[in-house]
Amino acid sequence: MSAVKAMTVSAADIAAARAQFPDAFGNPRARLFTAICWALALGYFGWSLWYFEFWKLFAFNERAIRMFQHFFVWEHMGEWDYAGIYQGLAETIAMAFLGTLLGSVAALLIAFAAARNTMPRNIVRHVVRRFLDLLRGIDSLIWALVFVRAVGLGPLAGVLSIFVSDTGTLSKLYSEAIENVDRKQVEGIRSTGASPIRIMRFGYLPQISPVFISLSLYSFESSVRSATILGIVGAGGIGKVLVDRFRAGYFDQVAFVVLNILICVFVIDWLSGKVRAHFIGEKPH
Amino acid sequence: MSSHHLATPAFVIEPGQDPVTIFEKHRAELQRSRLFMNIAMAVLFALLLAVSIYVSKFYPDRLWAGLPRIFEYFGTVMPNLEADNLFAARQANGKAVPGSILYWYSDLGKYLQLLFETVLMAITATMLGAAIAFLLSFPAARNLAPLRWINVLARRTTEVLRGVPEIIIALLLVFALGIGPLAGVLAIAIHTAGALGKLFSEVNENASMRPVEGLRSVGGTWWDEMRFGIVPQVLPNFVSYSLLRFEINVRSSSIVGFVGAGGIGQELNHTISFYNDDRVMAVLILIVLLVTVIDLISERLRTHLVGRENLI
Amino acid sequence: MLEFSGLTKAFGNHKAVNNITLTIPQGQMVGVIGRSGAGKSTLLRMINRLAAPTEGQIRFDGRDVSALKGRDLLAWRSECAMVFQQFNLVGRMSVINNVLMGRIFHHSFATAMLQAFSAEERALAIRALDRLGMAHTALQRAETLSGGQMQRVAIARALVQRPKVMLADEPIASLDPLNAKVVMDALRRINQEDGITVLANLHTLDTARTYCDRIVGLMSGAVVFDGTPDQLTDRQAREIYGAEADDAFSEGVTSTMLTPRAQAADTFDSAA
Repeated sequence: MSAVKAMTVSAADIAAARAQFPDAFGNPRARLFTAICWALALGYFGWSLWYFEFWKLFAFNERAIRMFQHFFVWEHMGEWDYAGIYQGLAETIAMAFLGTLLGSVAALLIAFAAARNTMPRNIVRHVVRRFLDLLRGIDSLIWALVFVRAVGLGPLAGVLSIFVSDTGTLSKLYSEAIENVDRKQVEGIRSTGASPIRIMRFGYLPQISPVFISLSLYSFESSVRSATILGIVGAGGIGKVLVDRFRAGYFDQVAFVVLNILICVFVIDWLSGKVRAHFIGEKPH
Repeated sequence: MSSHHLATPAFVIEPGQDPVTIFEKHRAELQRSRLFMNIAMAVLFALLLAVSIYVSKFYPDRLWAGLPRIFEYFGTVMPNLEADNLFAARQANGKAVPGSILYWYSDLGKYLQLLFETVLMAITATMLGAAIAFLLSFPAARNLAPLRWINVLARRTTEVLRGVPEIIIALLLVFALGIGPLAGVLAIAIHTAGALGKLFSEVNENASMRPVEGLRSVGGTWWDEMRFGIVPQVLPNFVSYSLLRFEINVRSSSIVGFVGAGGIGQELNHTISFYNDDRVMAVLILIVLLVTVIDLISERLRTHLVGRENLI
Repeated sequence: MLEFSGLTKAFGNHKAVNNITLTIPQGQMVGVIGRSGAGKSTLLRMINRLAAPTEGQIRFDGRDVSALKGRDLLAWRSECAMVFQQFNLVGRMSVINNVLMGRIFHHSFATAMLQAFSAEERALAIRALDRLGMAHTALQRAETLSGGQMQRVAIARALVQRPKVMLADEPIASLDPLNAKVVMDALRRINQEDGITVLANLHTLDTARTYCDRIVGLMSGAVVFDGTPDQLTDRQAREIYGAEADDAFSEGVTSTMLTPRAQAADTFDSAA
């Protein structure tokens, strides 16, 4: 039985290796660079926390503690206005549904003007695209605030704000789908002697309609999420219910409403996945 | 409904049978089942539409009454610029000339300070959120969690964190911590931790486990396996996702001010709610500009960083 | 000395390794052969405890290593190095840092996370790379290397662990004949020069015959042959390999010798 002769290194080996591969022993410049990067990042972070007055975190007041207690201790549940809460939830879904539907219809028209293969005029396409960027660049909550000023409090402002931001998002996504159409399939239909309308119907539509439906469903899911908060600025829905309960200090009901929002969003995602699977044949994730 | 049917033939033609008859029979069956599903979908859709219109009182007359008011409103918030005075300097008494850009943006200093604060909020919140998401993403990945219950706990945590919209968290935090950007930063950070935590853990789940096994075979701890087996693989994706999230967070930090959580949103809410003039448009334009510029910078940074060699 | 007694690994009702009892003296080079699914990998993975035995014991120099937990288990893994079929390197890390991973057990949490390796360890890594003819790639990223080069880096990583035992799980199954020879030569040299026990799973009989002091044949998780290469008759080998015999025999020729192109390509395809 032989003994193991483990590899060893002598001082001479170290010197030789260092001479041959100096960078393998740590490049002082690179190390300094890394250190400076970390110092800058941490320095910024510390400074910004100071700027934001983070010490307030540790000055928890009485009412904050009361609020957190009430999140978990629910009282007088029999007297809660459940009808109002679920009315708000229904309103939220309705706003998201109508907004997405109108947005999809508008996007259906606009998308063709924003796609490279259907809008050969560069100027028109660019103007349309910048306009869409503008619609998307402004958050739906800001649109809601603007529409509340314009048409008054209530779900109408919510529908309009979702409509506007969904038009922006969907038009862009639709136009990308149109640009990704497989030309070979269109040519196949054309080769059978089909008229332009039939080329549209059998060459383009089968390719883009499942994508459009899928995109609109995704958009609906995300609109439900944004619709839950539009009530904060008075545009109806569960957000208004939440803010009202919050202002009145019913924190247990606030917790209940938030829980309902979570469940509702989860269920909508699941249902939308099912519908998508029906239209596209793709498995729900 | 096409490709996945290829593997199993929908109908089989036995020898001696007429293919056309069989095809027609099969087609009729298929159409019947399709028709049923399509009618069900259409009915469901119509029902949903009717209920939605009823619940949100989205009646045509209300819409028609509202439409002119929308245009009217946008008319009132448009700046009143005069071509002659567009670039006019301040008058001797220090007042700007009405109709000039200077007059329109007389509060520019305040706006810029708030925009600065908005960006800072987004940066800090993204850093904080990404750091928490980073720590959560390893136990939240099914293939990496040391114990099953830790995995479940981490996943639930990310779900709850990202489930609540940041503005609702901001609302609660403003109540607890007082008005100011701290509530906004924390609210966005909490939401970011959840959203990025999910994305990061998915990246982790797609990482190759071979380096991890290599680390385990040399006697490395779980921390060594994560640090050297996983992190080098996933870091570029983490950075890319964080930058994308930063773009989203700039939008968020410009609206959390609606509930008093700092940033330009506070000013926007104020101008829209209390004034009916061009100041609304002034702030809106600045927000759109900010968002556009940040998107451009972040996109540059993303392509630059991900293409780079030594990110470890 | 490495001893197995009654070693068993069951996956549900299926026994991947069934009641193996063997003694391997220090410094021996052992080739484990058998058809795919015979339990070769499971056996090796149990030795450095990447897989836990269901029954039986593994003893090293009298110490029961099959019952180790926590830090002791990690210590055993660091003594018992492993080389994998797919190399299991960290692709986006430099070659030298990959090799230095072999020292990770000897570091505290903080120095490990910061990759604070000493000059001695770095020199050791360079020497290990040099022994395998890979020192010139030290600062490259591991993912830029070819398969054969990666396997040599993996062996260098195993070397800096200063192991007593080196396990090689199909070390050449993913390599072309030329690289397979380089890697097997390296393993044999390490075995002879350093006195490290080498246990290698080999899918080709000829490689095992050429390089090993001793061949262990597995069938359905049990030892069916244990002896020197000379003792292994063709008939026995055919029995061990079963339906895969033709592959194992013909590949055996191609993977250790330089052969005409067509055959080499064929081997590579079947390995990949």
